[in-house]
Amino acid sequence: MNAFADFWAGSELWREPLLAGVLAAALLSYLGVFVVLRRMVFVSAALSEISGVGVATAFYVGAVAGIDPHSHGALPILLEPVWFSLLFACAAAALFSLRPGHRKLAAETIVGLGYIVASALVLAILNSPRIAQEAHAVGDILFGNAVTVPRTQIYALAAAGAVAVIAHGLFFKELLFVSYDPETATVQGVGVLRYEVLLNFIIAVVISVATRAVGALPVFAFTVVPAAAALMVTENIRATMPLSIAFGIISAAVGYYISWIEQLPTGATMVVVASIFLLPGLVRLAKRSTV
Amino acid sequence: MDLVRLERAVIGYRTPLLPPLDLAVRSGTTLGVLGPNGAGKTTLLKSMLGLLPLLSGKRVLPLGRSPRVGYVPQRDRLDQSWPLSVLDVVLMGRTHLLGPLRRFRARDKKRACEALEEIGVGELAQKPLYTLSGGQHQRVLIARAIAAEPELLVLDEPTSAMDPAAERVLLELVERLKRAHALSVVLVTHQLTAVAGFATEVALVDRARGLFEIGPAREMIDPQRLGHLYGREVRVAQVDGQTAVVIGPATNNDPPHASAASEKVRRR
Repeated sequence: MNAFADFWAGSELWREPLLAGVLAAALLSYLGVFVVLRRMVFVSAALSEISGVGVATAFYVGAVAGIDPHSHGALPILLEPVWFSLLFACAAAALFSLRPGHRKLAAETIVGLGYIVASALVLAILNSPRIAQEAHAVGDILFGNAVTVPRTQIYALAAAGAVAVIAHGLFFKELLFVSYDPETATVQGVGVLRYEVLLNFIIAVVISVATRAVGALPVFAFTVVPAAAALMVTENIRATMPLSIAFGIISAAVGYYISWIEQLPTGATMVVVASIFLLPGLVRLAKRSTV
Repeated sequence: MDLVRLERAVIGYRTPLLPPLDLAVRSGTTLGVLGPNGAGKTTLLKSMLGLLPLLSGKRVLPLGRSPRVGYVPQRDRLDQSWPLSVLDVVLMGRTHLLGPLRRFRARDKKRACEALEEIGVGELAQKPLYTLSGGQHQRVLIARAIAAEPELLVLDEPTSAMDPAAERVLLELVERLKRAHALSVVLVTHQLTAVAGFATEVALVDRARGLFEIGPAREMIDPQRLGHLYGREVRVAQVDGQTAVVIGPATNNDPPHASAASEKVRRR
């Protein structure tokens, strides 16, 4: 009880990071249902890395041009890392919507290549002597730390969430149809590419914003784990989605609380808590396998 | 009245798959598109539906618009593990009728349930998709196509992996739907028996031989033509008023790797 009282007393410190974690978890857990069902789990990992390349590029371009992205004026606004991050993530989302493939390479391999190249680019740019002084700040922007979150990032998350909720409210039946059976949707004149781009853009924007707020690992985990846990215990998509969101929110809140009390890394603790929700589904799976 | 026509159409992705072809889907007919696996049937179907641009030639729409299509894809291309009910899947067929920004209404649900009843699986409406057998899943996909209120029903390999009795039942169902809804039907298959008793017109397709022939079923279900298509001896017989096709041993003439120089295009 003392631990909770201590935690409560520090509400000034955790209010914003906790809110950011919960918001990011709710959004990603909802979108994660589409991500997992569409078998595009690595698209979310790749988008997270590619948006990181955008952040690193903003700093690198600023360093080469001798402009500090955080100083004031017209040009630095254009060099703001968030724009680069969104631009890179949305461009990749558009490319992935075209389901790029090759006679010998599946679309999945191309997504994997995007992930590998993006990871290498981020490492290369971060270790460049040109931005050595800002490497730590860039690292925080790239991967977040879920401990301190500026209010602007909460607004950005809320805005991305509003866009996601409105788009899904208006086009849910189309998004479901093109995700489940793009071939028939195409034959029936439902604009498959249009809705795939919309869905991937929303995923890209939310991942890009959420990565800055809570870090790369929790973002990838919230996109996969709550949805997978909910899918294992439900048989109706209308039940899967709220359950996935609930798993995500509880994981973020409880994970944050435990990390505060036990002084553990916040993002990793959230992921561990989220993983607990996989247990009922795994038990169910084990029971079925033994029958 | 034709619903769709291809005129001197060259189909393919980058290189021509078949010689220039003429094809019409006529109102009230059943066109069977027959050919071995990998013959180019699906490419022909996509070109016919306007999903794949023609390399040359014309796709003509005599109605002045694309016909409303009810499409039944190959069942194994769909993931049956999605947490959807049968009704959710059938309602998808009505997405284009509503357009964006609008939710399914009671009328759409009623129409979807009626389509399920008509196909004989009305009791499955609330069942999860993953609990269905292969045959039930196929029927649900046909119900979805009917819920789309089509003028043209297109079925891609609807009887693959079915036993002969189930195949017969499904084809009789399609025939019944065709009459009840005044539909035109395009049936793409590699199974001779699926076409023999049901198609009014037949197109034989084989890209390996550069072959495309189309004509009335009674002329096309012919031992010589089918033998040429499959590179095997084929016998056709009438048994109790039904067409039976028997495939025999391989023949040596016109092997599958025949060059484009042996293109044979006939239009009837």
